[in-house]
Amino acid sequence: MECNVTLKDLAGMIDNTNLKVDVQKEDLEKLCRESIEYGFKSVAVNHSSIKYCKKFLAGTGVGIVTGISYPLGTNTLEEKLFETKHTIEIGATEIDYVINISELRAKNYDYMKKEMEEILKVCRQNNVLCKVILETYYLTDDEIIAMCKIASEVKPDFIKTSTGQIQGGGAKVEHVRLIKEALGDSGVQVKAAGGIRTLDDALQMIEAGATRLGTSSGTKIMEEYMERFN
Amino acid sequence: MNTKLAKFIDHTLLKPEATSEQIEALCKEAKEYGFASVCINPCRVKLASELLRDTDVKVCTVVGFPLGATTPEVKAFEAANAVENGASEVDMVMNIGAMKEKDYDLVERDIRAVVEAVAGKAVVKVILENCLLEKDEIKKACEICVKAGADFVKTSTGFNKSGATVEDVKLMKEAVKDKAGVKAAGGIRDMVTAKAMIEAGASRLGTSSSIKIVSEMED
Repeated sequence: MECNVTLKDLAGMIDNTNLKVDVQKEDLEKLCRESIEYGFKSVAVNHSSIKYCKKFLAGTGVGIVTGISYPLGTNTLEEKLFETKHTIEIGATEIDYVINISELRAKNYDYMKKEMEEILKVCRQNNVLCKVILETYYLTDDEIIAMCKIASEVKPDFIKTSTGQIQGGGAKVEHVRLIKEALGDSGVQVKAAGGIRTLDDALQMIEAGATRLGTSSGTKIMEEYMERFN
Repeated sequence: MNTKLAKFIDHTLLKPEATSEQIEALCKEAKEYGFASVCINPCRVKLASELLRDTDVKVCTVVGFPLGATTPEVKAFEAANAVENGASEVDMVMNIGAMKEKDYDLVERDIRAVVEAVAGKAVVKVILENCLLEKDEIKKACEICVKAGADFVKTSTGFNKSGATVEDVKLMKEAVKDKAGVKAAGGIRDMVTAKAMIEAGASRLGTSSSIKIVSEMED
């Protein structure tokens, strides 16, 4: 597969992810060490892990991504806002929230817009990036396009394909393309996540339009790159 | 209709894509069959509370679900918000990572935060997610739950590798004795399994196969 990105650029697109529920400090330490070593954009961790990672990553430039209403998206807006504020307060630098899938399915676009606006507002007030997880596994193309249309107006930083928590339900190249196209020149970027385990997976997503990748195989992807291109 | 068995059941629909119509149907079924509660996602609590007003069916929701990997502050907020919206039972997920690391203080503080947040207005069940725990961790978790004031210990979220087993329910019942109830959830899809869980010590069952189970009982 063709490759137009440098190792450094690729690393700068990766959210090095460990969202295991039974994660322990040694796993987090490893995740943070790798992220510093390779220059990953950030670590993506659960709320309970933020404080530890913050201590470890202080002054390194590696960010901390966390999920809001993750992975189901089924919390009330009040709860999502509290989670957003709270996780920013304890050290998150990027917020990946899961949309309310039921409301989207009911075509309640006003709700979808309000949810996005209010979470984004908290992020903007705190100078934190905001990504919107669609969980494309559950959505039709029309629903994906409807969300991209809302995002083109509200302008969060990213639309993200998936939580990565559904077996076999991660990022698909055709969804990344569809999202990219639907977002047009709005300036909203695309994060592909879920099932990205090899360098080729990563490069395909980038080619389709993703500028950020969520993966728990960050180190493996870097090693593959070095083996193949250096 | 077997109302006795029905009273053990939390009639459950936690799919993130569930529609309002499905929630309405769930509530209607719960009334008809006399289930203990409907167990639904937080964003559905208001709707279910309205639909079930003036009935015996309780509204149960989930907190820190299904990963349990959030902070005590977030779990407390979710629990209080749920109660405000009409929930009278909350099923929280324990901080499993903390349990694995033997950070028992955090495990306890996390549960206590939810118990205090509901301020006696809701039953608190703590989901241990047994499939990720060793037997001695299950036992220890049960002791912490009792100490922190939880009303129930619950086997599983139903979202992880595997659900309730008879062996684990027995172990949990033995650990909590009469100081808390045991809720078995995850993979309970027929009457034989449901009865086995109750015989092992469960006083509540979480299942989305509730109607099938009580119908099998009638036959």
